[in-house]
Amino acid sequence: MPENAIFVKALRFDPSRESAGRFEEYRVETAQPLSVMALLAKIHDQDATFACRTSTCFKGRCGSCLVRVDGRDVFGCTALIYPGQSIVVEPHSQFKVIRDVAVDFAAPQAVAGDGVGAE
Amino acid sequence: MKISERYGAEVMVIGAGSAGMRAALAAAEAGAKVLLLNKGPLAKSGITLTAAGGMQVPSQPGDSQELYWQDTIRSGYGLADENLVWAMAEDAVARAADAERYGARFVRDADGNLAIGRFPGQSQPRNRFFKGGGIGLVTALAGACRRNNIIVMDEILITGLLRTWSGSDGAVAGAIGLNLRTGQLVRFDARSVILATGGCQWLWEVNDCPADATGDGQVLAYRAGAELIDMEMVLFYPTVIVWPESLKGAFVHYEFLSPEILDGNVYDTAGAALLPKPLPGRDEAMRLMAAAITAGRGTAHGGVLWYVGDSPQGTEKVRKTLDTLQYNYIRSHGVDPASDRIEVAPGAHYLMGGIAINEECRTNIAGLFATPECAGNVDGANRLAGNGITATQVFGARAGYYAAQWAGEHAAAADAAEVDAELARIAAKVAASGKNARHVPAIRRKLRAAVQRYAGVSRDGEGLRRLLAVIDEVQGELAEVRVPFAGVYNQQLKDVLELDSMCETARLVAGSALRREESRGHHFRSDFPQSDDANWLKHTSVKLADGGPVYGTRPVARIGRYDNC
Ligand SMILES: Cc1cc2nc3c(=O)[nH]c(=O)nc-3n(C[C@H](O)[C@H](O)[C@H](O)COP(=O)(O)OP(=O)(O)OC[C@H]3O[C@@H](n4cnc5c(N)ncnc54)[C@H](O)[C@@H]3O)c2cc1C
Ligand code: FES
Repeated sequence: MPENAIFVKALRFDPSRESAGRFEEYRVETAQPLSVMALLAKIHDQDATFACRTSTCFKGRCGSCLVRVDGRDVFGCTALIYPGQSIVVEPHSQFKVIRDVAVDFAAPQAVAGDGVGAE
Repeated sequence: MKISERYGAEVMVIGAGSAGMRAALAAAEAGAKVLLLNKGPLAKSGITLTAAGGMQVPSQPGDSQELYWQDTIRSGYGLADENLVWAMAEDAVARAADAERYGARFVRDADGNLAIGRFPGQSQPRNRFFKGGGIGLVTALAGACRRNNIIVMDEILITGLLRTWSGSDGAVAGAIGLNLRTGQLVRFDARSVILATGGCQWLWEVNDCPADATGDGQVLAYRAGAELIDMEMVLFYPTVIVWPESLKGAFVHYEFLSPEILDGNVYDTAGAALLPKPLPGRDEAMRLMAAAITAGRGTAHGGVLWYVGDSPQGTEKVRKTLDTLQYNYIRSHGVDPASDRIEVAPGAHYLMGGIAINEECRTNIAGLFATPECAGNVDGANRLAGNGITATQVFGARAGYYAAQWAGEHAAAADAAEVDAELARIAAKVAASGKNARHVPAIRRKLRAAVQRYAGVSRDGEGLRRLLAVIDEVQGELAEVRVPFAGVYNQQLKDVLELDSMCETARLVAGSALRREESRGHHFRSDFPQSDDANWLKHTSVKLADGGPVYGTRPVARIGRYDNC
């Protein structure tokens, strides 16, 4: 496995036109670890028809990045993938797919307490 | 191109961040039927989520509306609209109480006393903190919107406003949007419209905002004939992370370097501390850091080093202060903010300019209202910590109230020609087979690199003219792009429409920055390094006329208190 790329098998699915999805393979050149969310944004840059969420809160809490990686639901913004790794990305299992790995969020989740920060 | 769905309301709010949700609540409480639209999923997009959640509220003993007003005016270097700041200082306490009424919570100690901070430029300790930061506030407001029967439609990208007729005195009457869930175009009719779409900081390569901040609202307003002011005034937060790659765009607190908090500093690669104590305002700090980076004293990634690991306040205080969601996010990327040196640089953080409003949040277009961050002229040339959120709550509430009042008194019907013009604008970006669509990321990169280089922390006339030339090129390249109009979640079309907004906003930022031939607050011109009070104690302004921007200036509203501060 080369150490300068991450390999992603991502679900492609447009429920408005297809009855089932299929996987597509992408190779993302990087010498640095990337969050799953950043990785998906890079795939979207390679293939604009691939749909994913790109808005981040930088807190690991809003849930905009929720996806499923290697069979587990994760927060895509805090799940780090290293060069040389291969992963399978699917839509988060708790929400309906809009397209590819972009899902339809029903309701915002509750937030636990936090400390004191200026900005 | 055709409209597939149509909805109506009395008051329509575009943007569901802390400002838009507050506006929707105020309009609903005033009895209006409210529609709240957002281009991302509700409570999962927008700048407010990234906020640490500080809010200035002058409620402590010894503090007052007058002192809060003075601090804000002083920090704005003479460019803050004094009436707007007076309104903000007047309403802040009541709006903080409202936020609690909607279910948001401020951080308190075990005895129930509010945690209060004091940050550079605040003469009194005045900063409260929302529990859960910006996300805590957004979650509470979203819950309140649901309880108040506000119709929320998220995943709707508004592309253009509709007016009663296409002249400069046409009143606003609705909007056209792309429904990302269905992939279809939607028409909205409303008696009044509130713009609450946030800023345009995504234009800069180094910024600490989500990718939503593409300047859409400023462009929607500008294209409908609204006046924008001080578009050159972009606040650069001193300490935005530039490395490692996966943490780019997160920030560490500049404020925590202050002696009373963690007493750390920012260092160059030779280990020299860059910031004096007491800590200067953000504008001065970001310039000291940028100067060190430009002089080659930064890291290979263009950063300098934020460090609190040797805090005289002790490791326990460091650990406790940095035990928040924000710092745990940084830890999840393999960096320990309590002990590591963190590579940071000044990054675009807040748009102080924007759509011109008065104390009732009216724009110069009948029926069109706006609230910060998307509206301008509140802070002037620099913004105090905590004023961003206070402004969203104060002016969000005012916008909602006055828009509801307007809707009660006026009816408006959009001109069919306005609808056709917007559909034609979208149609020009669409072709079944697509064309040059794969160039979009490269076009966007080219624009952002030029904005970063020429409209960043240090600007000059030659660079700004170069930037305007790059924008012409980029707009030319974008005009050759076509994307298919097909399928649900048409992110390709969203990308193109957002890039179109970014180009237009970049032009207005560059054009305004070129006109302000002086340095003031966050706007630094290396070819005019001094402030010029004789000529420039005034706003830059810009309006669309005959297909292009027409720049001018306008006086800053004074209420006679500035001389006393
Ligand atoms: C990292 C960071 C930390 C900060 N911390 C603080 C702090 O602690 N205290 C403070 O006072 N200020 C802080 N600020 C500033 C403050 O958070 C923001 O100014 C404020 O939250 C902006 O709120 P808003 O509702 O105007 O914009 P947003 O929260 O950005 O909401 C705008 C909404 O409009 C939507 N939208 C945009 N365009 C369209 C369109 N075309 N159609 C439909 N919807 C659209 C977006 O999706 C978004 O949801 C911080 C800013 C940053 C970047
Ligand atoms: S982007 Fe907000 S939790 Fe991941």
